[in-house]
Amino acid sequence: MEGQGGSLIEVSIKAEPLLHIGPFEFTNSMVGALLASAVLLAAAWYFSRRAALVPGRMQSLIELPVEWMADIVSASTSRWRGYVSLVVALFLMILVANWIGLLPGVGTVGVHSMEGGHEVFIPFVRPASADLNFTLGLALVAFAVFVYWGVRVNGVTGYLKELVGEPRYMAPLMFPIHLISELSRLISLSMRLFGNVFAGEVLLATMLAITTAAIFTIPLAFFVPGVFLGLEAIFGFVQALVFALLAMTYITMAIAEHEAHDDEHGAHDERPFSEAPHEVASIEPEGIG
Amino acid sequence: MDSNLAAGLAMGLGAIGPGIGLGIAVSKAMEALGRNPEASGAIFVPYVLGIALAEAIGIYALVVSLLLIFVV
Repeated sequence: MEGQGGSLIEVSIKAEPLLHIGPFEFTNSMVGALLASAVLLAAAWYFSRRAALVPGRMQSLIELPVEWMADIVSASTSRWRGYVSLVVALFLMILVANWIGLLPGVGTVGVHSMEGGHEVFIPFVRPASADLNFTLGLALVAFAVFVYWGVRVNGVTGYLKELVGEPRYMAPLMFPIHLISELSRLISLSMRLFGNVFAGEVLLATMLAITTAAIFTIPLAFFVPGVFLGLEAIFGFVQALVFALLAMTYITMAIAEHEAHDDEHGAHDERPFSEAPHEVASIEPEGIG
Repeated sequence: MDSNLAAGLAMGLGAIGPGIGLGIAVSKAMEALGRNPEASGAIFVPYVLGIALAEAIGIYALVVSLLLIFVV
């Protein structure tokens, strides 16, 4: 971009490599993803070790998103136990990864290095979802799972029959269309998350760059990026929710075909998550609200 | 320079449709919520999925403009 007087901010669409390990690059978005995983693992370890039957204030706060998400998933199909952990995990991972991107220092603390004749700035941490590799990886996992459920519920022939469509003679036309629509879910899942988070990062950087230029003349300019930071916090949550819900819906759609047939056997648990029996639920004392 | 202009146009024009769609989706959801507040749980998931699918069109425009800026 050759504008007059240089550009206000530096935007890199791909993650910058920090180290080279053999043929692999260790990029700064990997640092973001590892940080998010570390936060989640530490929270899981810490709170599962001291989990109380009657949750305290902190435990309730941690359990709230898990229980809320699990309640939504358990309303989808009678086989929700098979995929509830995946959907909740996708939600939590993306939520934490998005919110780590809003912390101070992420994307601003880094080193300057020479690359291709001009100086570039390489931040140490880049929010994981602002890298297409991360979102595409998550979308591939979701894709594999909903194809797996489609095959498991309908069988391989049933799944292929679904791709072929109803009037069999239309197969040469409909099969490629159905195939493309299956693959387009992969693209739209990954692109939606990447586009939103990346655009959010660019928006924040632009707002910050504009207001730091004005900060000495207009004292309250400081609050302008703050408003957008709050907006991005909401978007980070919504995008995590959307990704998890879409993954859930695709799995539900793969299962739904045979739902009526399965209900005759009555073999599946249809109670929502909060009412379904848990190992500790039976000894829960009454009258504690 | 041309590709920057094209990127701006792609994003600006591409945001019109999703903007209208999102407006319709949110207004209808609020209407439904006003008529039947108890149904908020049942409305929520289809509502979020609907706005996500409408928003995806805007994201495609964003991807095209990113490609125009960084790749072409």
